[in-house]
Amino acid sequence: MLEGNRRRYCGGVASLASGSSASKATAAERDLSVEDGVAAGVADGEEVENDRDDEEGLELGLTLGAARKSSPPPVPWGSCLRILTAKDLPSLASLAPPRSPSASSVSSSSVTNLSSGGTGMKRAAESASPHVGGSPQPPSQMVVGWPPIRTFRMNNFFNQSKDNTPETTTVASKKISASKDQSQKDQGSRRMGMRSSMFVKVKMDGDPIGRKVDLAVHHSYEALAVSLELMFQKPMMTTNLPAALDGAKALKLMDISSEFALTYEDKDGDWMLVGDVPWGMFVETAKRLRIMKISDATGLSRSTGRNPSCVLKPYGGSM
Amino acid sequence: MDRAFSWVAAFPDEVWEHTFSFLPTDADRNAVALVCRSWHRIERLSRRKIFVGNCYAVEPAAAVRRFPEVRAATIKGKPHFADFNLTITDWGGGAGRWIQSMAKGWPLLEELRLKRMVVSDDCLEIAARSFKNFRVLSLASCEGFSTAGLASVAANCRNLKALDLHENEVEENCINWISHFPESFTSLVTLNIACLDGEMNVSILERLISRCPNLKTLRLNHVTPLEKLVGLLHRAPQLVDLGIGMLIGEGHPGLFSKLESAFAHLKHLKNLSGIWEAGPLYLPAIYSICEGLTALHLCDSSIQTPELSKVVSRCKNLQQLWAMDLIEDDGLIAVASSCKLLRELRIFPSDPHGLAQPVYLTQYGLLAVSSGCVMLESVLYFCRQMTNSALLAIANNCPNLTCFRLCIIEPYTPDYITQEPLDAGFGAIVELCKDLRRLSISGLLTDRVFKTIGASANRLEMLSVAFAGDTDAGLHYILSGCKKLRKLEIRDCPFGDKALLDNADKLEAMRSLWMSSCSVTLGACRLLAKKMPRLNVEVIDENGGGSLESWPDDCHVEKLYIYRTIAGPRTDAPPFVLTV
Repeated sequence: MLEGNRRRYCGGVASLASGSSASKATAAERDLSVEDGVAAGVADGEEVENDRDDEEGLELGLTLGAARKSSPPPVPWGSCLRILTAKDLPSLASLAPPRSPSASSVSSSSVTNLSSGGTGMKRAAESASPHVGGSPQPPSQMVVGWPPIRTFRMNNFFNQSKDNTPETTTVASKKISASKDQSQKDQGSRRMGMRSSMFVKVKMDGDPIGRKVDLAVHHSYEALAVSLELMFQKPMMTTNLPAALDGAKALKLMDISSEFALTYEDKDGDWMLVGDVPWGMFVETAKRLRIMKISDATGLSRSTGRNPSCVLKPYGGSM
Repeated sequence: MDRAFSWVAAFPDEVWEHTFSFLPTDADRNAVALVCRSWHRIERLSRRKIFVGNCYAVEPAAAVRRFPEVRAATIKGKPHFADFNLTITDWGGGAGRWIQSMAKGWPLLEELRLKRMVVSDDCLEIAARSFKNFRVLSLASCEGFSTAGLASVAANCRNLKALDLHENEVEENCINWISHFPESFTSLVTLNIACLDGEMNVSILERLISRCPNLKTLRLNHVTPLEKLVGLLHRAPQLVDLGIGMLIGEGHPGLFSKLESAFAHLKHLKNLSGIWEAGPLYLPAIYSICEGLTALHLCDSSIQTPELSKVVSRCKNLQQLWAMDLIEDDGLIAVASSCKLLRELRIFPSDPHGLAQPVYLTQYGLLAVSSGCVMLESVLYFCRQMTNSALLAIANNCPNLTCFRLCIIEPYTPDYITQEPLDAGFGAIVELCKDLRRLSISGLLTDRVFKTIGASANRLEMLSVAFAGDTDAGLHYILSGCKKLRKLEIRDCPFGDKALLDNADKLEAMRSLWMSSCSVTLGACRLLAKKMPRLNVEVIDENGGGSLESWPDDCHVEKLYIYRTIAGPRTDAPPFVLTV
């Protein structure tokens, strides 16, 4: 009942696509596709709406239980009705605001760093068909402050008790099942919950502005690193940073050759280098993040002797 | 005294003072103060309660000087959208200057309520030591303090009746701050510590509760174990408002019956809140109190609708229901048929980022409640789909709505049946609900909806808009209509300069305007600031501050906060908040 299940619809489809190959490359791709499959799935919700009649058969029984007398089933955002391949997925580096109407496609950092046409997402009023963008959209979870829920409320909902092992906390699956007996069975198991958002403060050396990042939205160190890079990257700073590969990975927070190191303050108040512990454990213990200049980071403790860049674990593999 | 107002002398001041005490709102008192100098004097000397909706609208010292006899103050700081991380950290809203002025000028202050402010431990210490008659401390959505600050409140406020901490970010550095309440301390009526994350020494808490016979409200935090909770409940059978923190079923034998009997003892319970993680098997433990409940705020992760429906159908006197969308349409149908006295419904999303299976909560749930609960006044509803016809029906069913906040989670979602914008639906809401004071709109919306809102929402005081509209006309409709508008917050809409400049006077009649990710340029802000000296036009420059003068007029403004003030530009703004 781990992450795999939580995203099982998309995960299921994606794994079909990538077969059952156990190779690390495929697994990594699957991780990426599962992660962003969620994203694509959410955004595809609208497309799915249009094609609903055609594709009800493929909906994996999601909405069968909900059939009402004369009403269409609820929007089945989550069913990924296409086989996702790498080219479908938005490159995380290219999260610039698209012209398409689905404003949810802008990452939090892009929203804040926009210097032109902040909205850029106006839709043509006369067009009746909704948001079928040419390229897949990142989900609304990437938009700052949307949906408008107090982060405090969500941080504490499904909060963890000290008894929980890391595996069953942030990344544990919510009981998702169309059938009731499944959930009854789940009752006996360890309390599970899904933390919906977990904001921690982030500060970068040399930048006066502190920000917040939602750890629960990210599922790996790479995703977090990319988010942070986007958040803190400013147009005038690119000249100072190593040349970017594949877009915005200029800060290369997870790369030991980078100028910056990502550190976190744990529950005991110690500052640690990010990347040594399994992701779930990290989310549990991290109270704050700090992007340090490498020159300051030499004295940091590390929880193990491992190379921090060696954290590209298959999604779900470390849990 | 003026000849024209000689009748004022017909009664001694005390009579006028007594008369004014019946005026229900501050606005009435403000009006009274304008009549003549005597009334102004009498009113200001007799004002006991003050409400400052924007802490930067007035200088603390000036407020304290004008109303020297205040006993209760409510002050709000950051704009509402700060709740959703739209402002930057360190934006402001510090309570320090207010506390210092109040400590000097209002030593007899009894009640202090702060919302969305940054309150330091020093502030708490100063307050605790300066206000000898301190009775009520309420901090909502605040930050900047720790449990050490709470310890000094506990230690120094001998007559404290209420300590109400609502959703604050509190640093936990003093584990046993509760033990700082002296043994002689017995006056507590309200204790809300639900937002505290750390462990609490339950036996100290138990002793505190035992010696406070007037305790009516107790909201615990999430780390109280079940058996301890049972013990606490037995000590406080007089409770009216209980927050269970997080109830976890640990499978101990006999625990259910202990829980059941503990609840059964709470014969006066009216409010129940908390996070129910114990599962449906423990839920019947609360059946005995359901009939008496007027408010239920239950977040749950593990209860399916049938069990939840059994609970709500026993809550025949429920007036306020806050629940997660896990209650689903079926649960709301049960609410509609059982909770006929319902006034307020809030449904929160359990899965706001769409990571899990969607729940079956649609427009039908809200529609059912609107038709079954005729007293419904206030709605907050997160869902994923909506139709114009449902909104029209809701408006017809509940013309007495005063607060309607609908959040369709995915931006730009149209009427999912007709694919049209939701203009007609929201239009119906504002046209039929004549008393509507607060509105939040979402989904696919064109300028048409704003035209209707501007024309019909005559009592509207607060409007929240996101991802809506086509052109500047939308904003213009709002600002030129909506006679009573006080707070307007907008994000990600194509609204720009012209509407702002054309309606500059309106901005001074409002408390504040927040616009982010719209199409406003710096030039317009400059013009506006020049034209309206009593407005603070603040621009948040996320690119690290720097001198505003150097930026060109056509530079896009990402975040704009405009508010009226008599205090001039604020002096505590961080470097990236620039007053134009």
